[in-house]
Amino acid sequence: MRPENYQAVSHPPSHEYEVFFGPNHPGIEGNYALKVRLHGDEVTAARADGGYLHRGFEKLMEGRLWIQNIALVPRICVPDPVPMEVCYSLAIEALGGLEVPERAQWIRVMQLELSRIAAHLFTFGGNAATTGMYTPMFWGIADRDLILDLFEELSGGRVYHIYNIPGGVRRDLPEGYLKRVSDTLDYIESRLPDYDNLMFTNQVFVRRATGVGIMTQEQALDWGVTGPNLRATGLPFDVRRDDPYLIYDQLEFDVPVEEAGDAWARTLVRRAELKQSLRILRQVVARLPEIDGPIRAPIPNPLAWNLPLGDVYTRVESSKGELAYYVVSNGGDKPWRVHVRGPSAMHAVQVLEHLVTGARIEDVAQIMFSLDACPPEVDR
Amino acid sequence: MTDLRTIPVVAAGEERPSGGQGNLLARVFDELTAFCRSRSLFMLHYCTGCGAVELPPAMTSRFDMERLGIQPMVTPRQADILLVTGYVSTKTLKRIILTYEQMNSPKYVIGICSCTVNGGMYWQSYATAKKLNDYLPVDMYIAGCMPRPEAVISGLRELIANIRAGRSDYWRDYYRRYDHYLGNQQRLFGENWQTPTDVIAEARHYGLFGPETLGEHTALLEQHQTPLQPFEMRLGLKQDKGSSS
Repeated sequence: MRPENYQAVSHPPSHEYEVFFGPNHPGIEGNYALKVRLHGDEVTAARADGGYLHRGFEKLMEGRLWIQNIALVPRICVPDPVPMEVCYSLAIEALGGLEVPERAQWIRVMQLELSRIAAHLFTFGGNAATTGMYTPMFWGIADRDLILDLFEELSGGRVYHIYNIPGGVRRDLPEGYLKRVSDTLDYIESRLPDYDNLMFTNQVFVRRATGVGIMTQEQALDWGVTGPNLRATGLPFDVRRDDPYLIYDQLEFDVPVEEAGDAWARTLVRRAELKQSLRILRQVVARLPEIDGPIRAPIPNPLAWNLPLGDVYTRVESSKGELAYYVVSNGGDKPWRVHVRGPSAMHAVQVLEHLVTGARIEDVAQIMFSLDACPPEVDR
Repeated sequence: MTDLRTIPVVAAGEERPSGGQGNLLARVFDELTAFCRSRSLFMLHYCTGCGAVELPPAMTSRFDMERLGIQPMVTPRQADILLVTGYVSTKTLKRIILTYEQMNSPKYVIGICSCTVNGGMYWQSYATAKKLNDYLPVDMYIAGCMPRPEAVISGLRELIANIRAGRSDYWRDYYRRYDHYLGNQQRLFGENWQTPTDVIAEARHYGLFGPETLGEHTALLEQHQTPLQPFEMRLGLKQDKGSSS
């Protein structure tokens, strides 16, 4: 709801009605639904309706070998799959006491940041489309495809690249790959002024996003919100900096912060993060040729691989927030229990319900996309 | 569940006899209709699973589905193609069936990703339906996990060719063998399962009422069917949360 445009009108009782928002609705991010009660065009109550994408991942993983689950985990978050693979691999390595070679760690960071850029470009497109601007969507998806081409060259898969495995990465970089990464980075950097003109300084978008879906820092902390949504409320918390994994402590980057906590601030944080990811990737591309060595630590026969008794909690920063795996091993060849902390589960259900209540119906899609919810990760 | 022998098979070269056999004018009209139909397909905007992430690239600038005359459409009433992109959980399958029955004939179902073919990598999951063909007549499968945009577009071109040649009419199968599909749906959702659409009356209307339209499952449906009520949605909220003023 934009306060300057809104005047309270007393509606007759017949203006109270309830509508389904989803699951087949272009303003919904994937297979997800909201049921909203309207008073005129103002939402007075909302109920998130998930579960359309439930596949029972945590149960499925208990029935498969440690190494088989690597093929399963990227499916948990479709637009941003690499953090899933890396986080699960980190958990197994911590349990099995594997030391990941340095070159593999640098390659993993490159993959993680490329995936973050791809996910943010995808979100910008969807976010702009909810305000009626379809050009950023076309541009964002086309530019994202260049990154998918890089993934494809490395792993053979555009979307799901089962490339990070316990112990390291699957194969070394092809000849001239870093040059192509560098060229893609140049291209995306040269596109940023165009995106600014089209979307981030465009009054069509700025006025629709400002003051919509405000979340304070206390609320965000209470609700367990992480990632760009938390940083948009003024708290500079980033797992990459505050609990460094892989080689993030050797890299220079800032943690962008906004104060307002509305949809506009969340979009700006993502925009600034895109730039920081480009900065990280530049450092990785410069350093990677110097780092030699193996790309994979030797692992025992993966079909008869018993991990020692124990449990471990590993976390990484995905494009949606803090992603974590809690893995328990009872000494067998399969996990005894796996819990996935999908970052979207925190902000796509209760937080979304809360932010949508009091907003206007045309802003519902905007709020959902500005939170960057990922329904498959909510339902798992 | 499906007995393979009961699935009707159309050979690639076989032409279905069209209604206007013999009458030149009617035949020309039929061919013209098939041509127009094949060239303006509206695809329902319903992303059921992971495969949906490869549709934006297929639709937008790089692969550009629109050059084939295919566009996303937001309402099932005006859509021609139902794309089932990926695994279908039981909850989603109910919505898919409701959506499918709302669509106007002729309608085409495309199952994208391996999960719609045989369950894919979720073959042992308790939450997903394994074979889409058991619940809806599927015109075309595009296998892969996930299929690339080129594969999606190639599949859609094949569909266009099929529609042009009059081979893609599996929507008739839903009316002809409604009992079979309803039986599989009842097995999954329970015997109280019913949809707002009166499929049997529609089958009579389209002239597709056959010996297999009715059967033991439709008898069960009639036994449990409750008259349609004006729809009422229950949010389950006692009081409206603090509405701003």
